[in-house]
Amino acid sequence: MTAADATFTEHAIHEDSSAARAARRSARIRGVIFAVLGLFALQLAISTMDTPAKFSFWIDKQGGTAFPIQTTVGILWILTGVVTGATGIWQLYRGASFKWRRMLAVIIPLWVVATLAALLEGKTANLTGVLQGTLALATPITLGAFAGILSERSGLLNIAIEGKFLIGACVAAIAASVVRIMLGPNADPFMLSVAAFIGVVAAAISGILVALLLAWLGIRWKVDQIIAGVVIGIGALGITNFLFLRVLSKNTQLNTPPTIEAVKLPILGDIPVIGPILFNQTPYVYFTLIVMVFFTFMLFRTRWGLRLRASGEKPSAAGTVGIDVIRIRYRAMILAGILAGIAGSSLSLASAGSFQMNMSAGRGFIALAAVIFGAWNPVYAFGAALVFGFSDSAQALLSILGVDVPPQLLNSVPYLVTIIVVAGVVGRVRGPAAAGQPYDQG
Amino acid sequence: MSRVGRALRPALVPILAIITAFIVGSIFILITDFENLSQLGTDPGAAIGGAVNTVINAYGAMVVGALGDPAKYQAALADPTPRALAAALRPITETLVAATPLIFTGLAVAISFRSGAFNIGVEGQFVLGAFGAATAAIALKGAPMPVIILVATLFGVITGGLWGFIPGFLKARTGASEVITTIMLNYVAAQVVLFGLRSDFLRQENSDQPISKVLSDFVRIPLLIDLPAMRLHWGFIVALIMAVVVSWFLFRTTKGFELRAAGFNMTAARYAGMNASFSIILAMTLSGALAGLGGSMEVLGTVPQMSNDISPGYGFTAIALALLAGNRPFGIVLAALLFGALRNGGGLMGVKTGIPVDLLTFVQALVIIFVAAPGLIRAIWRVDRKKAPETPSTPAAPAKPDAPTPEGSAA
Amino acid sequence: MRLELKDITKTFPGVLANDRISISADRGEVLGLLGENGAGKSTLMNILSGLYRPDSGEILIDGSPRVFSDPRQAIDAGIGMVHQHFQLVPVFDVVEAVALGAESTSGIFGTFDRSTARQRVVELSTKYNLNVNPDAKIEDLPVGVRQRVEILKALYRQSDILVLDEPSAVLTPFETEELFGIIRGLAEAGTTVIFITHKLNEVLEVADKITVLRRGRVAGTADPKTATREQLANLMVGRDVELRVPKGPANPGDVVLQIRNLHVRDDRGHMAVQDVNLEIRSGEIVALAGVQGNGQTELVEAIVGLRQVDSGEINLDAHSIKHVSPRHIADEGVAHIPEDRNRDGLINYMTVAENFILDSYHREPYSHGIRLDRTAINEHAAQAVKDYDVRTPGIDTYAGSLSGGNQQKVIVAREFSRPLKLVIAAQPTRGLDVGSIEYIHRRIVEQRDQGAAILIVSTELDEVLAVGDRIAVMQGGQVVGVVEGEEATYEKVGMLMGGVH
Repeated sequence: MTAADATFTEHAIHEDSSAARAARRSARIRGVIFAVLGLFALQLAISTMDTPAKFSFWIDKQGGTAFPIQTTVGILWILTGVVTGATGIWQLYRGASFKWRRMLAVIIPLWVVATLAALLEGKTANLTGVLQGTLALATPITLGAFAGILSERSGLLNIAIEGKFLIGACVAAIAASVVRIMLGPNADPFMLSVAAFIGVVAAAISGILVALLLAWLGIRWKVDQIIAGVVIGIGALGITNFLFLRVLSKNTQLNTPPTIEAVKLPILGDIPVIGPILFNQTPYVYFTLIVMVFFTFMLFRTRWGLRLRASGEKPSAAGTVGIDVIRIRYRAMILAGILAGIAGSSLSLASAGSFQMNMSAGRGFIALAAVIFGAWNPVYAFGAALVFGFSDSAQALLSILGVDVPPQLLNSVPYLVTIIVVAGVVGRVRGPAAAGQPYDQG
Repeated sequence: MSRVGRALRPALVPILAIITAFIVGSIFILITDFENLSQLGTDPGAAIGGAVNTVINAYGAMVVGALGDPAKYQAALADPTPRALAAALRPITETLVAATPLIFTGLAVAISFRSGAFNIGVEGQFVLGAFGAATAAIALKGAPMPVIILVATLFGVITGGLWGFIPGFLKARTGASEVITTIMLNYVAAQVVLFGLRSDFLRQENSDQPISKVLSDFVRIPLLIDLPAMRLHWGFIVALIMAVVVSWFLFRTTKGFELRAAGFNMTAARYAGMNASFSIILAMTLSGALAGLGGSMEVLGTVPQMSNDISPGYGFTAIALALLAGNRPFGIVLAALLFGALRNGGGLMGVKTGIPVDLLTFVQALVIIFVAAPGLIRAIWRVDRKKAPETPSTPAAPAKPDAPTPEGSAA
Repeated sequence: MRLELKDITKTFPGVLANDRISISADRGEVLGLLGENGAGKSTLMNILSGLYRPDSGEILIDGSPRVFSDPRQAIDAGIGMVHQHFQLVPVFDVVEAVALGAESTSGIFGTFDRSTARQRVVELSTKYNLNVNPDAKIEDLPVGVRQRVEILKALYRQSDILVLDEPSAVLTPFETEELFGIIRGLAEAGTTVIFITHKLNEVLEVADKITVLRRGRVAGTADPKTATREQLANLMVGRDVELRVPKGPANPGDVVLQIRNLHVRDDRGHMAVQDVNLEIRSGEIVALAGVQGNGQTELVEAIVGLRQVDSGEINLDAHSIKHVSPRHIADEGVAHIPEDRNRDGLINYMTVAENFILDSYHREPYSHGIRLDRTAINEHAAQAVKDYDVRTPGIDTYAGSLSGGNQQKVIVAREFSRPLKLVIAAQPTRGLDVGSIEYIHRRIVEQRDQGAAILIVSTELDEVLAVGDRIAVMQGGQVVGVVEGEEATYEKVGMLMGGVH
């Protein structure tokens, strides 16, 4: 290398931004972590080469014909170790530009399956129910995360998702119950599903109202958005508990909504193995998947998305070219309210069949976790919600099979993961720059 | 303006906020009063009158429940037997009992707000502090009571402090938003407690509920007034002392000075040679430690045993207190007494009129909104709209910490 | 298009920001709008861009009156603004940032038509010689290029009237020259340009016509071909700007601050200070001149310990202070008056008394151990208020409610309240009234005469010339020249600042 080359290299390093250096550093850390985890998995394989790993799926329907898969735990660990290790090496080689998040879509399931097999110690586990449950449990979290992404991308912090869930669940139960009472005892199933749908619509409207309250407090009265979010969480808990104890517990007919059942899709639902998992779900699941595709397109490909993101990143830049930032934010909040309200309704109409006190049980904050873990991207957030949904869903399976994993550990996963992500150890995720800051429009 | 008026001026918004919140709360009592409102068609006058009566009865019961029954005070004065005295004094002492954890948590929130950090995690720090104290107490079972109390309290302070240190450290070192980390740590704390309470070491025998062995069998913080059925213990005095200590710390010490300076303006604090990152860590740790102390006092003095629902949301009510009091320690004591009275009186309201105490949670939320939006409350009551800038009661630089300081230069 | 503002008046609570201002510019003309900070330039431009509505007065475009009730209407009328603080979304690429608000779309959902937008950006960039990569991310671009992106934004909207607000504040002299070239090109192509600045040389160089604002009014107009700097300065400030600092000759002693081969990076990792060598002796004032953003800020921060040194040496009294904390450096007798009072120098929500001890609260007599001594603090504050003539209702008043001049006095009083070896004053008089400026300068000279070494950083040539015993000029992160005070002239220093050396 000549002297001129040396200066040039040095110059290039000098011109490097500190952000880029930090990104490279965390890329290195990430690479090493992946590589070490890969080695660890391979090491686990040595002692488990002979342990059988048995999984099965229902081919046609729950409790129908089983489709068994048999291998050994060791082989699963080898597979996991090789993929993880290779990702680590690839990461070290490619540096900060490596799209590592996408690899997680392969690595996490591998780890989950291998760990599950190891825990089962040769017992057979039927995964259809677990995977179906994962998707079902991930649905409200995903919708809540979309609500979070929408409002934060527009520049408003949204830590009130939990509160919207609760109110949505409560309103949906009451509205659907009231419609059912009006229909009388002999209503046919179709009319009952209309009643349930009215419950969902009512929940969406309640979500809008809460969202408008939040936006109004933040925008009009400049209430700190964190305070406003916390307050709506507290207030929602208080008012729904109050309604439950004062009204619903004495008038149970007001809390007996028609439930929303799984709908098997024609043709798709008959695909072996996959059909029962993916296409025999409640309409909420299909709705969520459609929203995900549409929302991702709108956010990244349309004028609406461009302006929304501008409002959240640098509102003054949008304002000075004549974009009404305040209106964009209000609209985003309304859409977020609809999604969060619908998600809330799924808790009482699809899962539980009635409203219970504090039934969201922190799911709103798990949705927030999915927003962050998913880097404010709808598809990634859905992935995060699946991970969280699985940790929830697997508990039932493990306890049925008598495997002793403390449920508290699995329950903590979303929260711990979020802390690690915001601490930026494995790679800083950057939220919308202006989220949480009030914006003064002329 | 009169002298009294001027003295009351800073309290104007908080007072109006509380009044407004109760009016809104009463609207909810009214519209859910189905017994009376069902007559609306037949006898509207009686229906509305009856519903209004429910509100009056409810709030009346709350006042009696919080302060005591005048008749019982008279009886106790006429015939001061321990029984009569206890009957008269019990409501007001219960109010102080209810205020105790609120003072601790309110001070905890105020310290973090003063330093510019949003500690939403006081709830988890309180619960974990109680858990730490309970664990230590059970481990020390058989030791002399003062030893158990001291060591268990210390343990509670340390666990609470640790739970505050983590988000403080992460914020100072990596810039991780403490809002997010503390929210998440609240849930982790709840899971830790559930996990611990299922262990044979802590779990109460023959119970499948997440509750610990009964602590009051072998450890109890001494009572302040030794009368039957009294629960008011020295923890309340400790809370008052802490208010004095926090006030002294914030306004009369160099560390408190640094903490406030960093809270208002991180860059200026750094330019003045202060270590702003350290201030954040210190504030969050102290905040957690105070909450942990509160949890310890609660589990060792007020309730018989550790359980997963030891806090009905003290950490969140504390945010309301800190806002209401403008982060002033003595204001927090006053606000905590008020909220303690509500919570305690709410019990009697529930018994007498069947209105759930949860109404008060909702009212609290309204109070926070109104205090956080003083413009709104002034608009509602049409009081002096123009106002000189006031001290911000929430952190000056929330959620967006400065880039980590150049560490090399601080070596 | 011809732009005319007629009798524009705008008041804010307690301030008459614009008082019957009338200006006009013809098609293809460059109007230089000259004025000090606070003269009402920004208010006028915000009215023109539709952000504010005037209380009275008219905006005429090609003779027909227009009312702008939001920025959109101003843009539609052909007015393009280049704001002093760039209004570009950092995470967008150039095409997105430029097209934002004027996107062409297709389909029922309004798909952003990126390729059309990109094509136009490329065309405009080529046509006006702006040389902007359409696919670069804004946050990766240097400020000079960002400004060209701002201009692109206006051109993309087919603006016929281009308003540039203090465009050279963040540019290097070279970039400023480039900018002037672009402006002339635009004007020749028929664009009306309004160029707002407080720099005399710039209006003289680029404007076809000059209007001077002072205290919200039009103080006068001038023709750049005949006007002199002195005349313009007179109009702008309302009296002879000649700054006279009463000071005797310097009496330099030993070297106090010695900087050798210093390299320092800025926040983005760029080398902001490159190989700087500088010595300051006791009893002398070194004025560091330079356009904003040429490394002065980073240099000062490195000296006072707020910024890590990349390489090189900083010695105070012959020992290194390179890895010493800001507190220890201050304790060694270094005073620092930071460039941004409100952000760096004061805590607005703390009292005047508390701000007086912001960097000495940990020392006797203000504290004993960890205990603060309120009595000592208050006594000190009362004395300092008297000594430094701080106009405040009381020592318990919040510092944020004082006027700029009084705030600066609080800072100066704080920094000068202990024995000093070295004073670092960054932009110590920026935005102050004349009385306060003279006061601050007198105090600094006083420190010099007591034997301190002084470094004053200023972007204002007048201040540099008036106060410096020696003048160092910084440009592009380097000290490009040092001139003795008596030999320094406007032209000499100005040329160095402009990169001619």
